[in-house]
Amino acid sequence: MLVKKRYQACLLALSILLTCLPVSGFTPRAIPSPIQAGVQANETFKFGKVDLDLLEQVNLLDKRFDKEGLVYHDADLDAYLDRVGKTVMAEKQLENVDWRFHVLRDPTLNAFALPNGSIYVNTGLLALLDDEGQLAGVLAHEMTHVARRHTYLQNRSIRKKVLAINILNTIGAWNPISGAAGAAIDLIANVSPFILALSIFGYSRDMEKEADLEGVKSLTAAGYAPEEMVNSLKLLQKDIEGEQLNSFYSDHPKLQDRVNYVGNSISSTASKMSAEQLRDARAEYLTQMEKIDRHDIELAINNGRFRTAVFVSQKLVDFHPDSSENTYYLAEAYRGLGPRAAELTSKELTGGAKKKAAKNRRKRTLEEEEAELMKTPAGQQAWKTNQEKAEQLYLRALDLSRFNSVAHRGLGMLYEKVGKKDEAAMEYGKYLELAPNAMDSERFRRRIVAIKGI
Amino acid sequence: MKIFPRLALLFLAGMLVCQQAKAQYLHPKITQKTVTVHSAVILPAKVEITKESAKGSEMMVAESEQASNTVFDAVGQALEQKKINIVKSPFDNQVGMMDDNRKYTLANIQGSYDALLPKLLSKSKDVKKARFSLGDEVMLLNIDKSADVLIFIRGQGRVFTKGKTAFSLLNPFSLDFPFALFTIGIVDARSGEVLAFTKPVAASKVLKDPKSLQKLITKSLKKLPASS
Repeated sequence: MLVKKRYQACLLALSILLTCLPVSGFTPRAIPSPIQAGVQANETFKFGKVDLDLLEQVNLLDKRFDKEGLVYHDADLDAYLDRVGKTVMAEKQLENVDWRFHVLRDPTLNAFALPNGSIYVNTGLLALLDDEGQLAGVLAHEMTHVARRHTYLQNRSIRKKVLAINILNTIGAWNPISGAAGAAIDLIANVSPFILALSIFGYSRDMEKEADLEGVKSLTAAGYAPEEMVNSLKLLQKDIEGEQLNSFYSDHPKLQDRVNYVGNSISSTASKMSAEQLRDARAEYLTQMEKIDRHDIELAINNGRFRTAVFVSQKLVDFHPDSSENTYYLAEAYRGLGPRAAELTSKELTGGAKKKAAKNRRKRTLEEEEAELMKTPAGQQAWKTNQEKAEQLYLRALDLSRFNSVAHRGLGMLYEKVGKKDEAAMEYGKYLELAPNAMDSERFRRRIVAIKGI
Repeated sequence: MKIFPRLALLFLAGMLVCQQAKAQYLHPKITQKTVTVHSAVILPAKVEITKESAKGSEMMVAESEQASNTVFDAVGQALEQKKINIVKSPFDNQVGMMDDNRKYTLANIQGSYDALLPKLLSKSKDVKKARFSLGDEVMLLNIDKSADVLIFIRGQGRVFTKGKTAFSLLNPFSLDFPFALFTIGIVDARSGEVLAFTKPVAASKVLKDPKSLQKLITKSLKKLPASS
């Protein structure tokens, strides 16, 4: 009974997995695209109907991401990603692949590849990375998935296994044989689907490992320091929001394992960057990413990822301390933090605490979470500290540029929250004076009316 | 498991589905008539359909988009039957042509609703306690000032192939059926409060039958007071 339930859960998980497959997009041209030198292709792969069907769906999905406003457009950034991506590509033509690099408006740490060659990197990941070499490592990993046709192979594998699961399930349901033989059939029917489901995840982990190791080779071939792949994996271990849970059904190997095997694969004689080179590379990358980082901070705040917002905006302020805009974003992040501490404690980063926090996130709204925290002395102290810090930063942003209209808006929202209503109305007024046609002008006109009780 | 408990489970599941089809939850402002909905803007619907075969699930991206438009129209007609004026949305049928900033704003608001949706689904009754709100950020959409509410539509459907149907018939106790589940959230266009929430469920054949779909949606909005 228990096994049966578990296997039904597996089936459900598989259905979800298939629906959410890191889909590969379809470009309706069978003409091979001119490409690559680093990423090695799967030479033996032949397209079948199932693959072409998947390709077609994925191509439509590609368009939908854009239509729904999930893709960030910036000509300079797109050109930059294109340049870095093409550096790690092999000079080989791949059937039904058209390499395109996109930025996905999502503050979580992720990147994925569609099998049509569309590579998506989340704003959250771009903001976390430190330099171009790390970005190249991420792109090389994803491009290996495409070149090795991983999505198609996994899709084929899952289809076979799901069919086997369905057959075994039906046999298990109508097993007419009693006694020991019947029990044996029941056992096989119940346990086999579970093993099949596990093998799918194992298959996926192998592909991830291959993408990591091949990615290192491509990175090296393109002239980047291979250790950048390890550095990017180490950055992923930061777990700023305390979300990394060790899931049994995980398609990626554990991060520490990845750091280890990628590190071991790098030759001790491989080129390394000096401290000065690293500093220059970091500055160059941050200059390139400053705009997208700001966009990511907004997304992180909208999604309740306030600690991430503080981390990224602090990085920007450290880089350009005299930027009014960057200071404003740091102020916004601190205001958003409310009664939360800027960093999680080691106690909060234990597996049990993270599971509990995840459960609470599913149950409570952000407002309810804040109300709960405000009942605790630690929450009240954090709230006071964060609001004070935010106020200082807004004022500094205005010192740096008195035309920073959004700093007035943020300050107004801060004052309104702490009950300084007159000051809030005044700041909203200044915001509207400086930006009378802002998209949210009506929102703040209404707030002024509400505050003044007109 | 023995046959009898399985049949009982099947019956129970059927009862639950029937019960859910009627589920409608209204904010106190609506029930106490302190707020009446006169006009609404319907935001682009998001309906996801998957094809379930014996070999697993497949995406149906084009069909999902088509279903989104059908459900969008059905909700519009259901509201019009309640004499609620449907204000032309700046997002109607032209999402692809919008400038990036507008597209991003819409995506952000839709994303905020999607983040709230699991809580709305699991604790729908709390709409009656005025628990849920998207905040006044919804005003960033800059819709027509005459609009009272924003309508968020989500849906998911599973369409079975012949092979999958055969397997589900051979093993009906797996409780694996083709279905279509929709959710309609009615949100105050200024404060962002969730004023009404419904979650009609039906067999997935409604996706191919606009009349049944219309009937389902209309029924699911039955409790929403008509505009006078």
